[in-house]
Amino acid sequence: MIEIAHVSKWYGAVHAVKGVSVRIEPGRVTALLGPNGAGKTTLIRMITGYLAPTEGQITVCGHDTVEQSGPARASIGYLPESAPLYPEMSVEGYLTFRARAFGVPAAKRRPAIDGVIQRCWLTEMRRRRIGALSKGYRQRVGLAAAILHDPPVLVLDEPTSGLDPTQIRSMRELIRSLAAGRTLLLSSHILPEVELTCDRVLIVAGGRLRADGAPGELVGSAQARAAYVIGLSAPAANAQAVLNSVPGVERVEPDGNRWRVWPRHGTGDLREPLARAAAAAGWVVIELTREKATLEQVFMNVIHSEQPADSANARVHDQAVPA
Amino acid sequence: MTRLWAVFAREYAGFFRVPLGWVLMALFLFLSGLVFTRSALVPGEPATMREFFSAWWGLLIVIAPAVSMRLFSEELRSGTIEGLMTAPLPEVTIVAGKFLAAAAFLITALAPTLVYPIILEWLARPDHGPVAAGYLGVLLVGMLYLAVGTWISALTSSQTLAFLATLFLLLLTELAAARLAAMVPEPWNHALLALSASARITDFARGLIDTGHIAYFLAATIWFLALAALTLKARRWR
Repeated sequence: MIEIAHVSKWYGAVHAVKGVSVRIEPGRVTALLGPNGAGKTTLIRMITGYLAPTEGQITVCGHDTVEQSGPARASIGYLPESAPLYPEMSVEGYLTFRARAFGVPAAKRRPAIDGVIQRCWLTEMRRRRIGALSKGYRQRVGLAAAILHDPPVLVLDEPTSGLDPTQIRSMRELIRSLAAGRTLLLSSHILPEVELTCDRVLIVAGGRLRADGAPGELVGSAQARAAYVIGLSAPAANAQAVLNSVPGVERVEPDGNRWRVWPRHGTGDLREPLARAAAAAGWVVIELTREKATLEQVFMNVIHSEQPADSANARVHDQAVPA
Repeated sequence: MTRLWAVFAREYAGFFRVPLGWVLMALFLFLSGLVFTRSALVPGEPATMREFFSAWWGLLIVIAPAVSMRLFSEELRSGTIEGLMTAPLPEVTIVAGKFLAAAAFLITALAPTLVYPIILEWLARPDHGPVAAGYLGVLLVGMLYLAVGTWISALTSSQTLAFLATLFLLLLTELAAARLAAMVPEPWNHALLALSASARITDFARGLIDTGHIAYFLAATIWFLALAALTLKARRWR
């Protein structure tokens, strides 16, 4: 469990994180999304105790990250962005160092190291020098080090960066298996990946929490605003006006020899009314579909919308229409 | 204790996994051998290592910053500091572990020089007291210089800058003691003179074990290590 209450971070005069409050529960995979410079990494660094919040409080498993930093840090497994490691050490040597640093008892060290080496597919690499490993392998060493002490909270900053498609697949399964009974927070840039792996999505932009919900929920709310695409056999000059007069239509824009029709908020399926209007005007409809909203669209809507959501339970509602 | 050992063991072994450690050790032994043959093996002179130890602060002032420059600067540059500072390790443990590793490396580099008093023993009859005191003095000055270097290395992600800044600070202190003290009026010049590590090392080389000197070196070492721990802690609040 991670609880973030009214947290702000200033770097000198730069206000990087602006009053974020959110509670991240165990047993689910929560994704933290946001453009570069949104305050994502700052937020992660405050959770893991690398940075102290300027205002507000963060508790991890009930331990304040500043006042009780020792127990707070001991309960987190952290994979920093791009997994910085000591290149001169061997995989096994590094894991031994981490196990000691996290106070894994001597008797449990060997089984713990063997376990994570197996779990992160590092068996052939255990005696290799870290500096000689490929980026994908280094990423796995970083992950192995993060889960070594069996922490109740896992924070993974871009766990799939540098991995090939097969490895991303295995990583997805590994992350899902790690989420059982744990609080798992990850950040990622690969949105389709997030849609598949995560139970909850937090979108941060401009230092604020701008959206919070299950991926399906967020995509669903964006779907309500998704455009219809209608293609007519003989493009007529007044088609735009005719389509615009259909009840529930907010806006019509030509798109090549097709039209994109945006519904007003809260209207039902417009496909039938649109088809009827075209037929009434004597045109043949050769194409009529509704665009599928994706997490990527949700993300773009959120980061481009101007009005900031001020509560922790921000939902994506009145977002700007996709440009 | 396991945690201190974790930091110490990783850091100490690290010296021997990079070329820098070996180069420093070779340089140190070469120069100390040079100093020994020129200063202690003089026919007709008494068999002492006094000159040898006195010359050592000149060696330490270059070697110690080169040993300590890596301690934090390298971690700050590569980003591994994030993994270190998010582990449940108090800043004091991190600083102590790293400093002790650097000190152990210095002792490792010093150990082969014990062959010099053995050579002297074989050739003549040196006084054992001053030799032992000389080693103690070298060790104490070494610790202090490493502690200064540890602090400065926590301030910058550039090893070169850490090396030069440490060297500059140490040299400036010696110069202030040696040159400025002559120009400053009575009570104040003592304060400047007290800063000179080379003067104190000379006392040790003469066989003089002054508890004042020992207290000075220990206090100054702890002071700089505390500064390093505070510097590290302050990074969280930047």
